[in-house]
Amino acid sequence: MTKVLLKGIRKKFGAVEIIRGVDLDIEDGEFVVFVGPSGCGKSTLLRLISGLEHISGGELHIGGQLVNEVPASRRGVAMVFQSYALYPHLTVRDNMGFGLKVRKVPASERARRVSEAAATLKLEPLLDRFPRQLSGGQRQRVAIGRAIVGNPDVFLFDEPLSNLDAELRVHMRSEIAALHQRLSTTMIYVTHDQIEAMTLADKIVVLRDGRVEQVGTPRDLYDSPRTIFVAQFIGSPKMNILPLADGGPIAPGASVPATAISVGIRPEHLSLGKSSNSTLRGKVRLAEYTGAVTLLHVELDGGQTCLVIQNQGPAPETGAEVSLQADPGRLHFFDREGQAV
Amino acid sequence: MTARRTEIVYRICWTIALLLLAVPFIFPFLWMISGGFKSTTEIFGAPTLIPRVWRFENFVEVFTYQPFARQYFNSLYIAATVTVLTLFIASLAGYALARIRFAGAGLLMLFLVMALMVPEEVTIIPNFFLIRAMGLIDTHWPLILLPVFGPQGVVATFLMRQFFLALPKELEDAGKMDGLSRFGVWLKIALPMSRPALAAVAIITFLHSWNLFLEPLIFLSSLEKFTLPLALSNFNDSYGLPLWNLQLAATSLAVVPILIIYLIAQRQIIESFALSGVKG
Ligand SMILES: Nc1ncnc2c1ncn2[C@@H]1O[C@H](COP(=O)(O)OP(=O)(O)OP(=O)(O)O)[C@@H](O)[C@H]1O
Ligand SMILES: [Mg+2]
Repeated sequence: MTKVLLKGIRKKFGAVEIIRGVDLDIEDGEFVVFVGPSGCGKSTLLRLISGLEHISGGELHIGGQLVNEVPASRRGVAMVFQSYALYPHLTVRDNMGFGLKVRKVPASERARRVSEAAATLKLEPLLDRFPRQLSGGQRQRVAIGRAIVGNPDVFLFDEPLSNLDAELRVHMRSEIAALHQRLSTTMIYVTHDQIEAMTLADKIVVLRDGRVEQVGTPRDLYDSPRTIFVAQFIGSPKMNILPLADGGPIAPGASVPATAISVGIRPEHLSLGKSSNSTLRGKVRLAEYTGAVTLLHVELDGGQTCLVIQNQGPAPETGAEVSLQADPGRLHFFDREGQAV
Repeated sequence: MTARRTEIVYRICWTIALLLLAVPFIFPFLWMISGGFKSTTEIFGAPTLIPRVWRFENFVEVFTYQPFARQYFNSLYIAATVTVLTLFIASLAGYALARIRFAGAGLLMLFLVMALMVPEEVTIIPNFFLIRAMGLIDTHWPLILLPVFGPQGVVATFLMRQFFLALPKELEDAGKMDGLSRFGVWLKIALPMSRPALAAVAIITFLHSWNLFLEPLIFLSSLEKFTLPLALSNFNDSYGLPLWNLQLAATSLAVVPILIIYLIAQRQIIESFALSGVKG
């Protein structure tokens, strides 16, 4: 059983507090994804869990044990780095076996585990090559192989796919998902990529300025974001946030909470209505055709721009008058502090 | 077809130009070797590159005139010791200055670099008193200790530090995750990756020690403890005039290790460029 438990974790670099009290409960075998804007402390938090950075305050438990002072190599965690961090002077085989060698695992056992991992990741033909002789995707796979070989209790990934091209990224994403299914090891994964987060995660942790903004399943976060920040961070394109006065008429039937001052509605939940049963009106400023859908930038009469995804029918011309409507159940209301109500 | 022709002409022109440029560098070298095979009278006679009479016995005389083999060995082992010690200390110290955060690291670096600005001629007298107080006059110790812990060592440390600073940190993190200690990271990851820097430091250090003249002149007095530069200036006749043919023969012998070191180090540097993925 390898739960990871964070209690009031803090990290200071000099006088600056980067991680400001993070509480988190990661179940055994769970796939947890950290997301958040650049600089919010995702990598730092991951490095605190790995043991590469020293924890300034709070408690970190891995597998029921307090590991604040346990060195990185004895925490039973393995890390896959963004730059892959393969040793350039060692072959793929030696790269993968390096950690075992340092831990004095006998050569025969080492060879067995390396070839096992190589088989899993289809790396056998590459074992005697040097990292420089590999493509980006292959390097990535070696980096994952190096992590697997040590039989870790927890895998840590720091934006492992960000150096790959789009197609390869999709492919490796599915490989990582498959890997998680096969090993069912606890995995913690940092990413910028919405789709990666939504597709891979059992649980998404949204970080902001060194604090946890919200934790939940991808569906939780998408359906019921607790703050405007999460509402706009999860989902692409971003959720439209309108002042209640302007956005109110969008779904006349909705019951509006008393403290609400703004209303949020996702672009994919807006549709174009006939201007006769008009609710919210605006002019199309830009229509971006992407193939599957058209993304409309609609300038409302109140002056705000509202994004609308239109997935059927011919798109209106630029400059056309349109009216927008939405299902009342799809509206999100936020109060003065940006909290959902 | 014509494209190939111009290509060939171009190459020939280049080769000729490079050959011409090489003459000023190669000629003195050949002249030295040829002089080593001549008699003194021929050296001062009408100059020819190929000796009219080949005096192979010059090379025997070099060894009988003074304990040249012993002196050669002195130079070799001193330069090798200095190089190994410098590589070891400079890479450790350079790594510490690059990667370990400790109070006063910046100040320490500043002090070291400041020490570089003091010319050797200024420190040689205090160093002499220091070495004498330690009772190491007419031993090889000053020739080892002064370069390793003096300005040469600082230059080496500085070079290593700059190189380590540029190494990707994630690699060292990976090493730590794999269970290496700080020392292990230095030995197993940082060092193997810094082969070009180590090779450069090795060349500089070996050459410096090999060419050292002032220190041996000051600290050594017995013939069999001499190093090569001192020995070379010692091939004189009874009037104190240089025996040119012996000096040139001995000098020809003295450059051999330098050539070898260059070849080895150059290969290291090229190989590691290939390793780092930089096209060479
Ligand atoms: N060793 C360090 N010393 C000082 N400050 C640091 C250090 N490491 C990170 N920081 C600071 O901590 C903050 C969070 O950094 P971190 O790398 O965790 O962000 P991130 O969320 O991973 O961002 P990105 O998405 O861009 O990778 C940044 O403001 C960064 O400048
Ligand atoms: Mg990061």
